[in-house]
Amino acid sequence: MTQLATEERVGPRRGLLHRLDVKGSPYLYIAPFFILFLGFGVFPLIFTAWVSLHEWSLLSEEHTWIGFGNYTKLFDDPAFWNALWNTVSIWVISTVPQLLLALVLAHILNQRLRGQTFWRMSALIPNITSVAAVAIIFSQLFGRDYGLFNWVLGLFGVDKIDWTANTWSSHVAVSTMIIWRWTGYNALIYLAAMQAVPKELYDSASLDGASSFQQLRKITVPAIRPTIIFTVIISTIGGMQVLAEPLLFGGNGLTGGSDRQFQTLALYLYEVAFGRFDFGYASASSWVMFLIIVVVAAINFGITSRLRRS
Amino acid sequence: MRRFTAVVPIAIAAMLATAACGSDDGDNQAADDGPVSLTVATFGEFGYKELYEEYMKLHPNVKITERITKTEDHHKNLAAHLATNTGAADIEALEEGWIGQFTAQPSKFVDLTEYGANDIKAQWPEWKWNVGSSKDGKVIGLGTDAGGMAMCYRTDLFQKAGLPTDRAEVSKLWPTWEQYIETGKKFEAAKVPGAHFFDGPTVMYRSILGQAPVGLYDGDNVVVDSNPDVKKAFDLSAQAVTSGLSARAEAWTPAWNAGFAKGTFATLACPSWMMAYIQTQAKDASGKWDIADVPGGGGNWGGSWLTVPKQGKHTKAAYELAKWLTAPEQEVKVFQKYGNFPSTVTLYDDPAIKDFVNPYFNNAPVGQIFSKSVTTMKPQYLGPKAGDINTQIINGLTRIEQGKQTPDQSWAQVLTDVKALL
Amino acid sequence: MATTLAPPPRHVSPPQTARRRIRRLSRRRPGKLTYLMLTAIAFFSFFPLYWSVVVASQDNSALGKIPPPVLLGGNLWFNLKRAFTMVPFEKALINSFLVAGAITLSVVLFSTLAGFAFAKLRFRGRNILLLSIIGTMMVPTTLGIIPLYMLMAKIQWTGTIYAVIVPAMVNGFGVFFMTQYLSEAVPTELLEAGRVDGCSTIRLFWHVVLPAARPAAAVLGMLTFLTAWNDFFWPLVVLTPEDPTVQVVLSTLSAGRITDYSLALTGALIAILPLLVVFVVLGKQIIGGIMQGAVKG
Repeated sequence: MTQLATEERVGPRRGLLHRLDVKGSPYLYIAPFFILFLGFGVFPLIFTAWVSLHEWSLLSEEHTWIGFGNYTKLFDDPAFWNALWNTVSIWVISTVPQLLLALVLAHILNQRLRGQTFWRMSALIPNITSVAAVAIIFSQLFGRDYGLFNWVLGLFGVDKIDWTANTWSSHVAVSTMIIWRWTGYNALIYLAAMQAVPKELYDSASLDGASSFQQLRKITVPAIRPTIIFTVIISTIGGMQVLAEPLLFGGNGLTGGSDRQFQTLALYLYEVAFGRFDFGYASASSWVMFLIIVVVAAINFGITSRLRRS
Repeated sequence: MRRFTAVVPIAIAAMLATAACGSDDGDNQAADDGPVSLTVATFGEFGYKELYEEYMKLHPNVKITERITKTEDHHKNLAAHLATNTGAADIEALEEGWIGQFTAQPSKFVDLTEYGANDIKAQWPEWKWNVGSSKDGKVIGLGTDAGGMAMCYRTDLFQKAGLPTDRAEVSKLWPTWEQYIETGKKFEAAKVPGAHFFDGPTVMYRSILGQAPVGLYDGDNVVVDSNPDVKKAFDLSAQAVTSGLSARAEAWTPAWNAGFAKGTFATLACPSWMMAYIQTQAKDASGKWDIADVPGGGGNWGGSWLTVPKQGKHTKAAYELAKWLTAPEQEVKVFQKYGNFPSTVTLYDDPAIKDFVNPYFNNAPVGQIFSKSVTTMKPQYLGPKAGDINTQIINGLTRIEQGKQTPDQSWAQVLTDVKALL
Repeated sequence: MATTLAPPPRHVSPPQTARRRIRRLSRRRPGKLTYLMLTAIAFFSFFPLYWSVVVASQDNSALGKIPPPVLLGGNLWFNLKRAFTMVPFEKALINSFLVAGAITLSVVLFSTLAGFAFAKLRFRGRNILLLSIIGTMMVPTTLGIIPLYMLMAKIQWTGTIYAVIVPAMVNGFGVFFMTQYLSEAVPTELLEAGRVDGCSTIRLFWHVVLPAARPAAAVLGMLTFLTAWNDFFWPLVVLTPEDPTVQVVLSTLSAGRITDYSLALTGALIAILPLLVVFVVLGKQIIGGIMQGAVKG
């Protein structure tokens, strides 16, 4: 534990004010979060839990109590489980390369570059580009007949791929969009953390003849470990809630392909809530989705922290 | 800290208690001559801007504010505002693809017959009126525009394939959808380079189904598995796909957009609003596209209704405005300025529509073509989940097109998918 | 939870003479290959944005062409004028600036405070409180808009930008991020020394933590501003097109049955220009090495 163990050092004689400061101020600092969350976050949670126990259409006045009916229906709903597997698959294909690339990109951006602000800014450009433009461009790239990717593959004698039609290819395409949009975002987070690593460490390492890549592995990664854990958790949470990319890739279709081959959990939830206006069932899905995210994030946290120790 | 935690849960509990009870019903019948402020929420080009000005001049006590959002956003917002009984506009437009869900739950809307809507019923074809009504006869929407349905075709590709190019002769090629497919086979046999007969099965399926007296619903029951007309619409579309007629250009994708100019498909079932789309997508192909009758007679794709949510403060005044906006005199102005094809049948003898030709499509008499399809369309009850069920069926056709399934496999899956929806 | 609050690695400073020599060595700028890679990355990042400009400078038929256009057309000015006359863009830009600015200031401040408490202070229930904050991020937000709207209607905030600002003034992301960053960046020894000198906690925060937090605060600020600026789901429900944010007017611009992409993307371009300005200003703040002088030197 590295927290300030002030009491032992200073002793109790410092006076009431000091004790109050030490004991009380942490609560004061975290209070804004909890006050606002109690004000605006708790009610929606309780309310959707209540709704999930009803047959509840957004358009109707009558809400019938059905207990756990929505939940039992959910467990027999192949579309829900299909969406879960798609989510996990897309999350794995997108997150691992995304975080590795982000780390490398941040390492490059951390060097003394000419036009530093420009390069750093360009990392966030994909994230601010209009989604309409992104959707058009990616469907051009992944087009079956005239798409750039199929043309390049064709040079190597690979047959035309109908990207939207197959499960694996649509997952690759959606993941590519995710990687394109979010790598720079994570790179900036890493870049911030790298600012706290003493430059002297790199200096002595390059004196010892360590290559840039070795410096990244041996110095940077251990030093920014808490931030790496942060990004892993965040991408887990974000990845489990992916909505925009599969929606865009399917041309705004809510089912995520003709066979729901790239419909994610969040997209399924969206379909139920705002395509069918079935608020009760959507609320139940939402709660189950929340529990799944908690479990996946916990597992991931366990793995990441174990890696740390080894 | 303790004080905050004590207060906030109480506030939340209070809100929980009141939120479920809906809002207080204000005075809905504000005097008509007092100042009235009305908001009209639409999605897209209803072409009402000038009409609002005109109405405000006619009724100096009325102030109109317009809200325009994207179609998806509009309906999603409306659902949220209806669910919470607050925030909806005084007049809310509904689109064909969504209206079935709203007419199935009419309790949040004013039954317009209470304000005398039955008096103006004759303005619309029966189907348009029915779609805007609930099953027990509550009228929640007044029709604005309609899509109608025709068949757009490429004269240059037809010529290359040795088919007639004159629109009267072309219409004679396909009185039925079976003959449409036969024509398609002839077209494919001619092997016109880079071109197929039609874009894809989506619109074809919808058109065939729309021509049946009973569609997905028979009363309260979903009859997808037992209604031969649904199966027929599916089978014919599947047959067109398996016969190799499809260019496999999914609607609204870049490949489809490009197809208009490039000529990758020779025919396309097209509602009236599609004309503007083709004209922008294929600006330089003027004269290459022409318009013939749709196989099987009447049809419709798209069109909207104006509704009055109950939560509004001035529902009577809102109705008066909606009635005025959908009246023939106003709809014809919208048609002339913006091209939205009116659903008002009483207008179809008006020279503005009867004599309307489109120069881009070789001066095709589109006013008459689309009037005919709207007036011959038979009323069919859509049902609350029609949109979702159609999505499942169209997904099934897409699976065939993508080569993932045979028609039989696909239909079997459609039936389970539809069952899961109910 | 202890693992996220790992002690900072104890660095061994190189001997004084060697250090001076490397200073010169490490001043060497990165090679051509680095710039080549960066240029490639920048190309892929910028291309869709550039292409939006292309479409915005054409008319709507441009999208139907094969191959699609890649050069600028002459319609940009015309489309800009159309966008500004069709929707209240000035008002939307001001609103968006107020919303995103207020949210950013608040998130950065409260996250740094809370992050400091979680990373460096000891108090009862710390781990469970941090975990619960992280847990709030896992709640799918899609459905929350309905009850949140009811709440806003009760306190009569619907249609006002308070409804967009206040619920977003703190978030788990910021708190967790700052906790992780500060656990690494601020040496505990320094804080202890400050305590021994009789500094109050808030003074430690002000004089030690806040300067050290600068790079992370800049990045958190950028990301928060961007998220707040781009948020459309909730603003579309709770605001009206009469008093909108930028994303609300963008929905109006692409409202046609046939989307006019030249208009929609022109709107999108107007919407991102302020973002670029914020990025440049905050991007310059990502400067490391502040602590080095104070701690090691």
